[in-house]
Amino acid sequence: MPVLSVRDLSIDYSTRRGPVHAVRNVSFELEKSETLAIIGESGSGKTTLAVGLIRLSPRGTKVTSGQILYTKNGLTTDIRTLDDDDLREYRWAEAAMVFQAALNSFNPVITIWEQFNDTARAHGMKDKHKVRDRADELLDLVHLDAKRVLHAFPHELSGGMKQRVLIALALMLEPQLVILDEPTTALDILTQRSIIDLLRQLREKLGFSMIFISHDLSIAAELADRMITMYAGRVVEEANVDDMFYRPRHPYSVGLLRAVPRVSGALGSVASIPGSPPDLMRLPVGCSYAPRCPYAIDACRAEEPPLVAVDTPKHEAACIRWKHVAEILGSNAEVPVAEKLA
Amino acid sequence: MTTAILARPTTGQRLLGFWLSIVDFLRLLSRRPVGLIGFFGIVFFLLLAFVAPLFVPFQNDPSLADIYQTPSRAHPLGTDFQGKDVLNQIVFGGRDILTVAILAALVSTVIAITFGAIAAIVGGKVDSTILAITDVTLTLPKLILLIAVAAILRPTSFVFLAVILGLLQWSSLLRQIRAQVLSLKERDYVEAARSLDLGIVHIVFREILPTMRSYIAIHFIFAMTEAMYAQVFIVILGLVPVSGSNWGIMLYFAQGQGALFFRDSIWYILSPILAISLVQLSLVSFASALEDIFNPRLRGSA
Amino acid sequence: MTTAVAAKAQVRTAMDPRRYLGDTWRHPVARAAVKALLTIWVTTTLTFALIRLMPGSPVELKIDELIQTSNGALSYEDAKAIASSLFAINLNAPFHEQYLSFVWNLLHFDLGNSFLSSGTSVTSIIIAVLPWTLFSVGTGLLLSFIVGIGLGLLAAYRRDSLLDRVVSTGGSLISSIPNYLIALMLILFLGVQWHLINFTSMRGAYTSGLQPGFNLTFIGDIFYHAALPITIYFLTQIGHWILSMRSATLSALEEDYVTAARARGLSDGRIRTAYVGRNAVLPLVTQLAISVGFIVGGAAIIEQLFAYQGVGLRLLAAVTQRDYPVIQGIIMLTTIAVVVANLAADLIYSKLDPRIGRAGGASG
Repeated sequence: MPVLSVRDLSIDYSTRRGPVHAVRNVSFELEKSETLAIIGESGSGKTTLAVGLIRLSPRGTKVTSGQILYTKNGLTTDIRTLDDDDLREYRWAEAAMVFQAALNSFNPVITIWEQFNDTARAHGMKDKHKVRDRADELLDLVHLDAKRVLHAFPHELSGGMKQRVLIALALMLEPQLVILDEPTTALDILTQRSIIDLLRQLREKLGFSMIFISHDLSIAAELADRMITMYAGRVVEEANVDDMFYRPRHPYSVGLLRAVPRVSGALGSVASIPGSPPDLMRLPVGCSYAPRCPYAIDACRAEEPPLVAVDTPKHEAACIRWKHVAEILGSNAEVPVAEKLA
Repeated sequence: MTTAILARPTTGQRLLGFWLSIVDFLRLLSRRPVGLIGFFGIVFFLLLAFVAPLFVPFQNDPSLADIYQTPSRAHPLGTDFQGKDVLNQIVFGGRDILTVAILAALVSTVIAITFGAIAAIVGGKVDSTILAITDVTLTLPKLILLIAVAAILRPTSFVFLAVILGLLQWSSLLRQIRAQVLSLKERDYVEAARSLDLGIVHIVFREILPTMRSYIAIHFIFAMTEAMYAQVFIVILGLVPVSGSNWGIMLYFAQGQGALFFRDSIWYILSPILAISLVQLSLVSFASALEDIFNPRLRGSA
Repeated sequence: MTTAVAAKAQVRTAMDPRRYLGDTWRHPVARAAVKALLTIWVTTTLTFALIRLMPGSPVELKIDELIQTSNGALSYEDAKAIASSLFAINLNAPFHEQYLSFVWNLLHFDLGNSFLSSGTSVTSIIIAVLPWTLFSVGTGLLLSFIVGIGLGLLAAYRRDSLLDRVVSTGGSLISSIPNYLIALMLILFLGVQWHLINFTSMRGAYTSGLQPGFNLTFIGDIFYHAALPITIYFLTQIGHWILSMRSATLSALEEDYVTAARARGLSDGRIRTAYVGRNAVLPLVTQLAISVGFIVGGAAIIEQLFAYQGVGLRLLAAVTQRDYPVIQGIIMLTTIAVVVANLAADLIYSKLDPRIGRAGGASG
């Protein structure tokens, strides 16, 4: 039984010019203790999807179709049907979220301790001593000095520390699911590395499931079991992490892989994908990636290709030319990227 | 890059650009009905104050038989304590008030731009001195000071009054100008101009001020409302030697002659009140609409 | 282990505050105090210059007047001596000494004597009227702040609703009409046209003959007499608070920490007060101080219209009577009052916003 099963989810933004289809018919499943990485450029709809999973979408956003099925102890609920109180319970206690801008995730005018206590009280933990013990324990887990951090105000902590505190806070209620939206983006490389290491340790120790959202494939690859690439609001490829790296079948995934800086490669070997993501209000007919795709043929522009199973198991790509991609790449086309994984 | 930016457009291009920006501006304004009403309100009162007096005969003869009349065909807004026509006084009573308001706004804007730009561009000790003076002026209780200054200096000319008003209200604009210039200074095109060694005056007038046009216009209007508030304030208190007739002086007399407590004189008192209030409302709603158009993020409404 | 050590070192660097290294002038509270002193000094000097140095200055006028009223019995020197004592300035000393002794007297709260009732010190005159102005202005300002903040928050939360439109339009309408005109209209309609309010019984700061004391009758009477000025001060500022709070709330609602608080399942009430409200109100606290200066100045005309015996009314009386020591004293003391209010606002602000000048640091 998967912890989370998203089926046919679509999310629109309303703007003055009309609705924007930010997420289109997205489906995926997340097993217990599994890590799923969602990859895409900015504007691909991955953040909209992530906040949509805890129904935290900003004003003017509307879920137009689909189900978000969450399972705990054999009991399955559709998050879309929860009332306000149940939703509040579900948030953080079941699904915690570490945000993109961790730097601004804390209220600047109250101490870290108050923000821990607020969270605890919201979920019925009234005993301050217990909350304090729990906070000490969690901060210890993320290698921070609880005594100093709890009495500090957010601006007194560095970016990396804030991110650690937020991770600690996310684990407070032992959620089954932790969603991380670009958790390392604003940090320097060394801090990024320590956060990734920390997340890996914590996952092994506590066994939660993770959804990891990033534009950076190399970071995602370090944590993920499975991967999804999103383009223009749609899932265009889903695969195990090895398949995605060694045997990608959608040209967009191939493009993203090429954009990864190679550890052993010469400088300048990074190839960014030419062109820019499409205007979500005026999507081209057919495959939305076709205008940027080097392998596009006329048939690509006729209708939007569905996700189809490709040559490896549990691997799907939304490309009618996946066989052509496979041929060009061969079976070990991206060895330099693989080196990095080893 | 640099040459393209520094190239001067021809006069024809400028005129065309100007015309297009007016058309553009009116289109933007038409989406904000309150701002549009404000705009027409301002136009109306400017016409009333500066053009209407050219076509209407001035009536200044007291007529004791007609004091405190209610509105009638002969006197659409009634008469005052001397039997003078109120409408006539409204028509002739706007020019002085608006002139002083515009002059005072001009004085304060010029001070704010000059010293704000100097502070930002020169920096260092000059900057901190100007800032300190500004901070101090910002906290002074200006109306109290105005009462004292008016009482001791007894300004008799409108220009003098406008200068006093202008001297009291430049501080907040100066700070904003300084902040703006500081941020503009960092931008490339100013860097480019400076590297060509064009001098401070050129940088300020050719590169910085044009980009702050809307900003300054908004502040000019707000400065006008402040000047009008302060001016009517001291006129009603009788601190300015009274001569001639304007909306503030009408209120001064209305109050001094006890007309306030005379039931039939309501139109007489209400007319200048409404005139001043409507001018203020027009200015504020127009300026707010401008703010909405040019600095939408400041106001937080989409 | 190494990570733990590194993280702890990070704590230390992050908490090692610039404030210990940086100069005191950058410290906001110290700067506010210096600013306050500077403001008082500037006003002092300005008043001195206005009264003493201007051609045809009040001092010269007074000397002339003294000589004339005595029909020549007083010599110029004698008149000058009398004027000296009236202004509490030694007119024979050089200017800089006059200035220094003026400042010195001021430090002792010696502002000289009133021209009209000789022997009455300016300080005692001001002490008699200042509390009434501070009371009415303070009450009006505080009420408008509380109500305005509440309405602004509400309007922002129900953005674009009917309530929002009514509240914001009403707010901008009322804040653009000069407050003395509102006061005039109040008198005109409520008092004269509709006879709803008996203005004559509300004149003064309290009913004459009533024994001042700390009892309900007297306090009730005080509020009855101050009701109209308070209403006007309330109306003067309410629109400003509504509009500022509305836009501050709207931008606070967009902040990441509010979204994050929602993600953590916090109750709406807690988010509204501690997360949105508290952050939105912060910038308004500093504006509170500026408003004090504005309202105290405007009080002159309001107190005159309602015949309320406060500083403003006293100032106007002094102006018509050309009682310069009183004018000078009132300007000085109201400036000091406003400056102290500013200083208080700066201090409160630094208490409310931990990012500014937090002394003590994280103890633990």
